[in-house]
Amino acid sequence: MNVFAELFAGIGHIMGEVFMALFPLAVLTVLAQRFLLKKPLSRLKEVFAGFLLTYVGLVLFLQGVNAGFMPVGQMMGEKLGSLSYNWILIPIGFVLGFVITFAEPAVRVLNHQVERVSGGAIPQMLMLYTLSIGVGVSVALAMGRVLYGWPLFAFLLPGFILIFIMARWAKKAFVGIAFDSGGVATGPMTATFVLAMTIGLASAIEGRDPLTEGFGMVAFVATAPILSVLVVGLLYRRKEQEHERKLAREAVADRDSGQ
Amino acid sequence: MENLKNTIKEVCASILPVAAVITILQFSLIHLPLDVFLKFLLSVVMVAFGLMLFFIGVEMGLLPIGEQIGATLPRTGKVWLVVLGGLILGYVVTVAEPDVRVLATQVDQVSGGAIGKQLLIQMVALGVAVYVGMAVLRIILGWSYYLIMIVSYALVFLLSLFVPDQFVPVSFDAGSVTTGPMTVPFILALGVGVAAVLRARRSASDSFGLVGLASIGPILAVMLLGVIYR
Repeated sequence: MNVFAELFAGIGHIMGEVFMALFPLAVLTVLAQRFLLKKPLSRLKEVFAGFLLTYVGLVLFLQGVNAGFMPVGQMMGEKLGSLSYNWILIPIGFVLGFVITFAEPAVRVLNHQVERVSGGAIPQMLMLYTLSIGVGVSVALAMGRVLYGWPLFAFLLPGFILIFIMARWAKKAFVGIAFDSGGVATGPMTATFVLAMTIGLASAIEGRDPLTEGFGMVAFVATAPILSVLVVGLLYRRKEQEHERKLAREAVADRDSGQ
Repeated sequence: MENLKNTIKEVCASILPVAAVITILQFSLIHLPLDVFLKFLLSVVMVAFGLMLFFIGVEMGLLPIGEQIGATLPRTGKVWLVVLGGLILGYVVTVAEPDVRVLATQVDQVSGGAIGKQLLIQMVALGVAVYVGMAVLRIILGWSYYLIMIVSYALVFLLSLFVPDQFVPVSFDAGSVTTGPMTVPFILALGVGVAAVLRARRSASDSFGLVGLASIGPILAVMLLGVIYR
């Protein structure tokens, strides 16, 4: 029973917090309804029910994260960090990142979008593996950063330079999709549990500051999909150009043979 | 009913695999006390259940509002009103974004209250607001997306030279957590609405990129907070 009591400790506070969090949205809804949309909302009941469900859902989510994910994640990070073979966090990071991405529904939406924009040239499975490996590598790197104190900019700066160089050459539609895709892998487990792990890890290792080394992981994870989409986008462009060249050659050949 | 099933499936897909990996780790490497691990398992159930309700609620009651605002605002034909709408919507949804709250809670805790939770949430929300407003303005005026992105990120890296070290990773993370389950559908709905009404011809590529832009605002905002703290 003790565990249950701990799990619900402080839920009153969360309830107040979530109320304040949704309040502005509720006000906006009323104002928009009154001045902008004018016509009566046909489904006012559903809007109200929607707010209620969102409220209860948010309370449960935040309470679960605060009382469960954060303390347990930090403990796990500390424990793994104090192992004599704590390098093992690097492969663990890869597996976590891979699994997070491979199963994430938002990723499938992105892959579908990419497939459509590329006219089917980039199959969804190719995107799925590229993204999962990309995020796996970035979580592994994030772990390595905490373990060995690598500076954040050693990765982010080259990462973004590469992104902008590739974005220069990629097809325009891919650039928007790429930058939007940054969020697909930073889902409900990343910013909560995995972040708590890196914070715990940073506090377990001598000479690391949880504030400087524990954070930054989410940004790593967000960069991987941008890079992945752009790389695949560039490959696609090459394929497209080859196809065009081939068509042009054939046209020339046709004309020549016609003469 | 079909929606409900999909939501349950999606939430399970994004939580259970990771929980399974953690469970394997617990019994092979970590060996936390069993009651602590039980707490983790129970919180997985709680988080999953909370997320399901949240998704259903957003889809049922909140998103239709966002879509209507996105579709109605541009028809007023007043640029300032559309931009203002983007600003307000950006702020309002970010304040309600769960991932932003989780990050702010952890920052508050790790910094021992030095970087307060409410302050951080407000800064992030302001950052999103400004950048969503700008993104809307970009669609209307047809500015180059690439140019805005490269200038913004150049500004980010430039500003980071003047920001105390403790603020830099937090500010980058703040940029990434804004792209959560609340913000993304709202911003996309707004973008699609604006692009469809104002520039029907170019809407296909213009409605994308909004979320990417919106996540720069918080990086800059939290960095500015750091500069002030110094």
